[in-house]
Amino acid sequence: MARIQPLTLSRRAFLGAALIGMSCKSRRGPAGRLIDDGGARGHQLRSPIAAGERRPTERKPVVIVGGGVAGLSAAWRLRQRGFTDFVVLEMEQRAGGNARWGENEVTPFPWAAHYVPVPGPEATDLRAFFRDIGVLNGEEWSERALCFAPQERLYIHGRWQEGLEPQIGPSDRDRDQFKRFDDRMQAFRESGAFTIPSSRGRASLPDDISALDTVSMAGWMDREGFDSPYLRWWIEYGCRDDYGALMPDVSAWAGIHYHTSRQDDEPGPLTWPEGNGWIVRKLLERLAPHVETSVMVERLEPNDRGWTITADTGVWTAEQVIYAAPAFLLPHLTGGAIAIDGFDYSPWVTANLVLDRWPRSSAGEPAWDNVIFDSPGLGYVVATHQSIATDVPRTVWTYYWALAHGTPPANRAWLQQQTWETLSARILGDLRRVHRDIDDCVSRIDVLRLGHAMIRPSVGFLSRAARQRMAGAGKGLLFAHSDVSGLSLFEEAHAGGVRAADAALAAL
Amino acid sequence: MAPALLAAVLLIATCGLVYELVAGALASYLLGDSVTQFSTVIGAYLFAMGIGSWMSRYITRSLVRQFVVVQVLIALVGGFSSTVLFLAFGWTDVFRPILYTLVIIVGTLVGLEIPLLMRILRDRFEFKDVVAHVLTFDYLGALVASVLFPTLLVPQLGLLRAAMFFGLVNGAVALWTLYLFRDAVPRRGSLATLAVVVMVLLGGGMVEGNRLLDFAESGLYADDVVYTKTTPYQRIVLTAWRDDLRLFLNSHLQFSSRDEYRYHEALVHPGLASVAARRVLILGGGDGLALREVLKYPGIEQVTLVDLDPEMPRLFSTHAELVALNHASFRDRRVRLISADAMVWLGQNSDLFDFAIVDLPDPSNFSLGKLYTSLFYRMLSRHLTPDGAFVVQSSSPLFAPQSFWCVVRTVEDAGFRASPYHVYVPSFGEWGFVLATRGGYQRPTRLPDGLRFLTAQTLEPLFEFPVDMRPVPVEVNRLHNQALVHYYEQEWRAFNR
Repeated sequence: MARIQPLTLSRRAFLGAALIGMSCKSRRGPAGRLIDDGGARGHQLRSPIAAGERRPTERKPVVIVGGGVAGLSAAWRLRQRGFTDFVVLEMEQRAGGNARWGENEVTPFPWAAHYVPVPGPEATDLRAFFRDIGVLNGEEWSERALCFAPQERLYIHGRWQEGLEPQIGPSDRDRDQFKRFDDRMQAFRESGAFTIPSSRGRASLPDDISALDTVSMAGWMDREGFDSPYLRWWIEYGCRDDYGALMPDVSAWAGIHYHTSRQDDEPGPLTWPEGNGWIVRKLLERLAPHVETSVMVERLEPNDRGWTITADTGVWTAEQVIYAAPAFLLPHLTGGAIAIDGFDYSPWVTANLVLDRWPRSSAGEPAWDNVIFDSPGLGYVVATHQSIATDVPRTVWTYYWALAHGTPPANRAWLQQQTWETLSARILGDLRRVHRDIDDCVSRIDVLRLGHAMIRPSVGFLSRAARQRMAGAGKGLLFAHSDVSGLSLFEEAHAGGVRAADAALAAL
Repeated sequence: MAPALLAAVLLIATCGLVYELVAGALASYLLGDSVTQFSTVIGAYLFAMGIGSWMSRYITRSLVRQFVVVQVLIALVGGFSSTVLFLAFGWTDVFRPILYTLVIIVGTLVGLEIPLLMRILRDRFEFKDVVAHVLTFDYLGALVASVLFPTLLVPQLGLLRAAMFFGLVNGAVALWTLYLFRDAVPRRGSLATLAVVVMVLLGGGMVEGNRLLDFAESGLYADDVVYTKTTPYQRIVLTAWRDDLRLFLNSHLQFSSRDEYRYHEALVHPGLASVAARRVLILGGGDGLALREVLKYPGIEQVTLVDLDPEMPRLFSTHAELVALNHASFRDRRVRLISADAMVWLGQNSDLFDFAIVDLPDPSNFSLGKLYTSLFYRMLSRHLTPDGAFVVQSSSPLFAPQSFWCVVRTVEDAGFRASPYHVYVPSFGEWGFVLATRGGYQRPTRLPDGLRFLTAQTLEPLFEFPVDMRPVPVEVNRLHNQALVHYYEQEWRAFNR
């Protein structure tokens, strides 16, 4: 069976749809709820520990605090090097951190980080890791893991276009600026200062590049004469996507890093239905016996042989502590002994929408990442995109929304006041601009509020004293979390974990 | 009573503009060139309104009665205008004359309305107020229509129902007018009955809009439509003309019973006759026609047919003429029928086959494009015995050379030796297939008896490609580039132009 495709007939098919119109369906709102992000548990840290409690004590040479990608990567490295006498303490009921994921009857889906760009040839540790979990075979990336086509599309001026760089609307002048920007980025790329993980390129920064840490991305764009609104939207989208912040609120170093740290010609990113949760699953398959969940670490104190880690369920003493939890918890855990001034975090909202059918109101086949121009949100990612089925009647969309406008504390306060009703209404309202029949499709929306979703590489972050203190903390306390790099990226977390594990083994 | 009549002005003005927009939009959709279509439709419509206004001078008596008659006529003609136009496009060759005739009729009737109403209102207001009020509401109605049309009517009701809905509004205005002037109009009963009949017709049309569309659609096919079914996966349409049965899936021709034997013999025998197959897999092929060819080999022990849509095998094992066409192949006890998504099914089991036939729809979108990727052929490879082989229907090497050679290259990338070949199938044109083997292809010396097209001696030339079908440089089709879908779309778009 096959074949002849008269396009005139497809126009008639289109006409059929126009004539019949959308099915009229009674409107009943979607179900759903607010998901707990652990913030409530985290806030318990602010209350003092009840005195006189006795908890079981255990000795371990290495204790890893935090079961996100950094902590699990440290654990993976320890095991890879044959060391097994360690434990990972995770506050949540499930490990994963920013790679958390969920699953329903339709598909697994991500709650936060959902892809990893294909690591270049110099990222040897990361490539070794991906070989271990079967994503890289020889020099071939698994076809199931590489993002299927079509990868990205942008809804702009009432139409979808392929790719995220605006094509519909820019004038010749705008295009010249895009070209000039690309040339500038190429020059930065060739400088070798922008790498993944960033520590490699940062080891010896030339002055002109370390100066980029002292100016905001907006300031740099102004200085370079980049005033095209389309270019600025695109650059700001990158800042919101990777840092949850606007151009004035991130350093030019960070803004440029986004565009220069990866090769232009690499194949699309690695992704899975549950996003980076898939990687965590693979890690947990190897590490599950070492991971203790629902363990709330309350205190980190130095003792004469190392550190004492006090948690709600027990006490550990360790020679080496790999600290792989977010940096902002440190002052609470150390009773103020370690201060972390200048660490800003961007609050986010993510939502998973169950669609009982695909919208018909906006033509074109859905891509993996679907972005709306001039939207406060970052668009939605289709969890079933990596399905090998031809017929996918139901799907889950993950909607990403970085609260970039305004200050993080004000946004966190605002977020606390929101209910499921107000947040889901905003999300549907944004999607309705593109998919007018979205309300007929969505049967469920679950909304996650993330008060401290990701670190902000703000102006001066690289040179900030607190960061440098943490990066080289020593004395048996090793920092693995990606917060230290200023970039909330899987690769940074993995590199931080590996680095800390190596340092711990060297010190034992 | 006067405010009620002014409300009527608003309603009928809205209706009037909606019919004009429906005609313009339909003409644009069907004929293309929206500037021309809208200009001529609007021009003709306004001109016809002029005729109507001029004709109103000849109506001198029983104004209210005539106004109601005009309303009922507009309800009927305007309400069914989109239906008539769509049917005319599918069923006749005179779409344009019918379009402009309809536009003139509706325009004339609408042109009659306002002068009649103004004269009805003449005794209730001063002349300057009549003109001011009526024209105000007339233009207001135009605004309402032009805003409602793109935002609400087309997306929510569709063109077919939108016109009917406003036909109902005209009908309601007719009845309302009769009620308002219940003392002034003699023999109201017959008029009211007429209006109600028209409204019942329109209401029925709105409820049965889908069925009307089916009927209208049957005019789009050249032959008589003998069967239609919309399944969750596709729209199946079967047409017949004399002894020619044709199957369309989503309006794409799948086969013509006159020449399908050429296609299916070429699909199956060059490959299957070259291996000693006991177990055969067919992916797609829910028409049972490739199956018919496979069952011609006495050595076959089991044939597994995997098709997404259970309706296809059901139709092709129950419809008498179709059963005659596939020689009741689905009734053969060696056949194992599975309703599943091909690639998902390949990933879920480990059955082994000596030969596989990949007879799937052309890669016209990204969903179908997955079924032509290197990963698909690698997954299929795990289901083949060491000497196993498979064949893929691969679009036309003449009309879509990049698409065809992309399949060839992708099969090679998946670790197979590809042997491409082509045949002429009158209803498709020149058509291509790719045979994939592990150790190289040996042409068979014998084919089953009773074939209508192929002999062992005529196989050789099928594997030779003349100059205009020679290989072209292409990329491998992978899930992350879907190169084939891009080639296919470009090539068939160019061909259809």
